[in-house]
Amino acid sequence: MSKILGNPRSIAISIICVAVLVISIFGGALGNTLGFGFFASSLPAIQLPAEKIVDGFNTPVGKWDLMNTMVTTWLAMLVLIVVSLIIRRNLKDVPGRLQALFEVVMEFFLSLCEQIAGKEKARRFFPLVFTIFIFIVAANWMGVLPGFGTVGRIAGPEEIAHHHDAHDYHDPALVTTTHESKESKAKHHGSDEAQEDGHDSHLGTVKLHVFRDYKTIPVAALSPGSLEEELTFSEYDEKNGNVGEGKRAGHLVPFLRSANTDLNMSLAIALIAMVMVHFWGFSILGFFGHAGKFISFKSGPIGFFVGILELISELGRIISFTFRLFGNIFAGEVLLMAMAFLLPLIGIIPFLGLELFVGLIQAFVFAMLTLVFASMASISHNDGDHH
Amino acid sequence: MEGDIMNVGAGLAIGLGAIGPGIGIGMLASKAMEALGRNPEAGAQIQQNMILAIAFTEAIAIYALVVAIIIKFV
Repeated sequence: MSKILGNPRSIAISIICVAVLVISIFGGALGNTLGFGFFASSLPAIQLPAEKIVDGFNTPVGKWDLMNTMVTTWLAMLVLIVVSLIIRRNLKDVPGRLQALFEVVMEFFLSLCEQIAGKEKARRFFPLVFTIFIFIVAANWMGVLPGFGTVGRIAGPEEIAHHHDAHDYHDPALVTTTHESKESKAKHHGSDEAQEDGHDSHLGTVKLHVFRDYKTIPVAALSPGSLEEELTFSEYDEKNGNVGEGKRAGHLVPFLRSANTDLNMSLAIALIAMVMVHFWGFSILGFFGHAGKFISFKSGPIGFFVGILELISELGRIISFTFRLFGNIFAGEVLLMAMAFLLPLIGIIPFLGLELFVGLIQAFVFAMLTLVFASMASISHNDGDHH
Repeated sequence: MEGDIMNVGAGLAIGLGAIGPGIGIGMLASKAMEALGRNPEAGAQIQQNMILAIAFTEAIAIYALVVAIIIKFV
């Protein structure tokens, strides 16, 4: 014991550890209630829908904007493509480390498919099941990398007000003080006053955060010590949009956000999985064989309603697929944000491990369920009766 | 005022929604431990299936959490 304590290196390490602990407890939002909180940044505004990074262009079917979850999806695809190309180029009889890792994972899944669906159908289901697994794992694990959700552009007060259905809000900082605009400002103020109640109910609870304004680069990040500078919309109006030298108010719109925190992403994977499940059902059992499970007149009215119930439960499967993945990943991101807010530096570490685990388990569950549904869809109901 | 009641609603949504899955995960784990005690050789398989079943049970709590988040932040 004394040997360890006597070593100057271990003393230095333990001093650093204690310092980090003290800083994170007193510097975070917990310490803020005690009057410290020098290290706390404001909790990022949590948004359910994906946020827009760049204004897109109009297409015949609607406006296309570049969303932050979309960028992450592309990154995940890029990673998978690059890794698969690397492995393909270096394929050897005696596998290297990377190849061995993927061989182990693939063999595990192939044997799982054979166990559940049988040898013949396993080869048919395997590509989709495994693709779903590795894509969701890649997308989920990307979400815990540093930079996700913390670096982005600033959305100004007008854009935030627009999101909260207050379309007639005008940013006082952007209104120039020429005579004409003063008049229009006065007019707007009058109309604002008239519907003060509606205005407040939308924006009353919304907090604006303050960021350092780098004039040349349009990038912002949550900065330590910005918790004290939060302000509401009415305070912002009172200050006339002037929050300090070289600073801007608004919300952070991260450039990168975990792909499955977008409901569209998990819905898309769920739809692909269920469409393929029914495609396999039709192609293995034939049209009437598969459709007969859902609409059947053979076994009387009870059989008919059981079929209708099956049809509804198919829809339920899509919904539960979507929300299981989305909910787990979104809740994880919120948890990470909240812990980084409460206890900066150390609070987040155990939860990063938890998120890695949850990301893997959810991907595995998604793939497994696709496999189970596929093997259920490819088995005829009447097998026992006729053969 | 409206915001206060919404906060209470969000708390109730996740609080009540976590009761069922909590009991469920407890029952799952206790049965898995029992099975492990009876047949220690099947440990790996029991553990794998237990984690899978826990993921399903936990998903219900996650639905409640999503509802709570929607109430609070949207």
